Amino acid sequence: MTELRITPVTRLEGHAQVRITLNSGNEVERAHFNVMELRGFEKFLIGAAVEEAPRITPRICGICPTSHHLASVKAVDAILGAEPPETARKLRELLNHAQYIHSHAIHFFMLAAPDFLVGHDAPAADRSVIGIAKKDPGLAKKAIEVRKLGQRITEAVGGKPIHPSNAVPGGMSRPLDETARGNLLAMAKGGLAIAKEGWELARTMMDGTDLTLGTVETGFLAMTKEKKYSPYEGTVETMGKDRSPLGSFTGADYTKHITEFSEDWSYLKFTKLANGTFYRVGPQARLNICSSMGTPIADAALKEYRGKFGETVQAPLACNLARYVEFLASCERVVELLEDPAITGTNIRAPVAGVKAARGVGIIEAPRGTLIHDYMVNEKGFIERCNLIVATCQNNYAIDRSVEAVAKPLVKDGKLPEAAANRIEMVIRSYDPCISCATHAIGRRAWPIEIVRSGDGAGKGETLRPHEGDDLLC
Amino acid sequence: MKIAIEELASCSGCTIAILDLHEALLDVLGKAEIVYAPVIMDVKEPPEGIDLAFVTGAVRNEENKERLRKIRKRAKTVVALGTCACYGGISGLSMLFNKEDMFNYVFRGVETVRPDGVIPKDVPPFLYRAFAVGDIEKVDYYITGCPPKEMYLKKILPALVSGEPLALSKKSVCSECDRVMGAHEHWQLKRRYEGVPDRDHCLLGQGYLCLGAVTFGRCGASCPHSNVPCHGCNGPSLDILREPCRDIYNMMIRRIADLTDKPEAEIEKQIYDVAHTFYPFTIGSLIMEDKGISKIRDLIKERNV
Repeated sequence: MTELRITPVTRLEGHAQVRITLNSGNEVERAHFNVMELRGFEKFLIGAAVEEAPRITPRICGICPTSHHLASVKAVDAILGAEPPETARKLRELLNHAQYIHSHAIHFFMLAAPDFLVGHDAPAADRSVIGIAKKDPGLAKKAIEVRKLGQRITEAVGGKPIHPSNAVPGGMSRPLDETARGNLLAMAKGGLAIAKEGWELARTMMDGTDLTLGTVETGFLAMTKEKKYSPYEGTVETMGKDRSPLGSFTGADYTKHITEFSEDWSYLKFTKLANGTFYRVGPQARLNICSSMGTPIADAALKEYRGKFGETVQAPLACNLARYVEFLASCERVVELLEDPAITGTNIRAPVAGVKAARGVGIIEAPRGTLIHDYMVNEKGFIERCNLIVATCQNNYAIDRSVEAVAKPLVKDGKLPEAAANRIEMVIRSYDPCISCATHAIGRRAWPIEIVRSGDGAGKGETLRPHEGDDLLC
Repeated sequence: MKIAIEELASCSGCTIAILDLHEALLDVLGKAEIVYAPVIMDVKEPPEGIDLAFVTGAVRNEENKERLRKIRKRAKTVVALGTCACYGGISGLSMLFNKEDMFNYVFRGVETVRPDGVIPKDVPPFLYRAFAVGDIEKVDYYITGCPPKEMYLKKILPALVSGEPLALSKKSVCSECDRVMGAHEHWQLKRRYEGVPDRDHCLLGQGYLCLGAVTFGRCGASCPHSNVPCHGCNGPSLDILREPCRDIYNMMIRRIADLTDKPEAEIEKQIYDVAHTFYPFTIGSLIMEDKGISKIRDLIKERNV
């Protein structure tokens, strides 16, 4: 009995594991995606004063803390009967786009691009953002500059660049002043210029890559506003793999559409739609579902993306480009928002008095997909029940199946060469899974890939840990 | 200078905080080499001969513990980076319930699962509690903050790389706050969502539970500056760390009593949700729990029995 592991899978946010079981002919029998830890936010929020949730839940994820902050505060708004004023709504939308800029820039330039710009079969040591910095220092500087735009907006509007605090029940805690607006707008225009330039790189970046790698067919789920791209607010739409509409919902009705289940081998739950359809969320799902992006540069990019991959895109690697289309949209939209005179308004917070509803559901599109925070409270506003549906849970099934699809042809004679292992990682990466979010989870180390020979039942077999300095053990 | 970044039980926010040095990171990289940081590069195991290792996150399972042991062995200097590594951080709140209750709720209790849902068994078990990094292994430097702030990391990182001594403020959040004390004759504790705080006056004086007085600074009092009460994410202030008879809870009550002339017992009657409002970032710290006066012992359910 043999176990192969790649530990950890790298250039990923958070930690998990893939387990590949071989049959007696040394071929892949099945492959699964395992997540090894659970943090239990849903449980330990019970008893909390509900207004603490928007402060506590950003700590689910240091990469998309704003998404949790905003989903949470929307849920608390509903409980306290608060209707944020227009400026507050726009500031929150600005925060949400700043989150996309930072998160998508990290993923595109720092995690995914090394596979395509340095090469997925290049030596492991060169395949990183540091490798890109050596190969093309100008590009690395631009990547840093544009991500900084996202973090600077988050700091100015949200109070802090990581784990923002300023979205409060009823609106925002602090207005954006004219000086800050001017500075951010200048940065945003610079950021948009970098993003446009980057598109020239992105659009052809994957031309030499087999884009069918890890393809699975699923339905999709995403929030839109009258079918237009709208990551901050709207109606959640669902569709089957053939584009057939499978219903739409807002608020607490999510429970009529989404069901979760678990498996013995992973702390990460799976989801499917009420009719049993497995689905995906995230950039690819949003682009499959929306009619347009609502900004000119992103709309042109969407047209090109659809010309390349079609109307309904199933290939996971295409998600790298879908993410870039969204990145363009966010860069354009922050310029628009910062040019909007209402953004510096001072009517930013509707005072709230007490509990008006026993339940509040906040839904937002996080960079990785639809995020739902659902709290139930007692009459004094202390949480009694809590449910969190995050993007990577909803993508869990597709990732799991993609891993098997890639692994099957790559495992030869029970061995998995390093470059082949990186192909599995590359497909996993295209989903941009966030394991911290997924398990509301303290990340486990990483994403080992483990191969277990099936057959003689008892036990999982011998585990061969990597030797010192070995990237991979076969 | 060889640098490593190890993530234990964390949200990755502290790694992002290092990336948030932005272009200044390129200067650090000019003088030092990152040899291990799984989030950004494909090196799978920490090599020998690390000069400076940043450890982020708390210790929540056996593997976190093993990783920490390994990086300690292979690094000359270990830095606990961030509040989770220093005090257990938000993950410590998981100790408010026992593991079985938590698993039952997550896999069988929430609105979208079935009551007969599978509780995973073929997965690594938790340790009986959360630990701060320094509760398990020797730590050379502590950098608190959830996460540590850019303006300080910009000073601290180059100093750690060059070995130059660096003097930094050791004061509390209050010392960095620009608010002045206002009237507080009819002081009543408010929930943090109530009303709209006045921007000029002390939030605690206005009745909001602001932990600035008992929280280590180096954040520029960013939350009070944004009209949001401090919730203690930098961990305890130095006086609390130094004095066994000082704790977050009792020092807050004493502070409010000094401020308002109300008897401590009367203030305590108004306090709500001690776990999530006083200890959300320190409940997993043995240093904090071991204080005789700490409320943490009354709050945690998971014990090594």
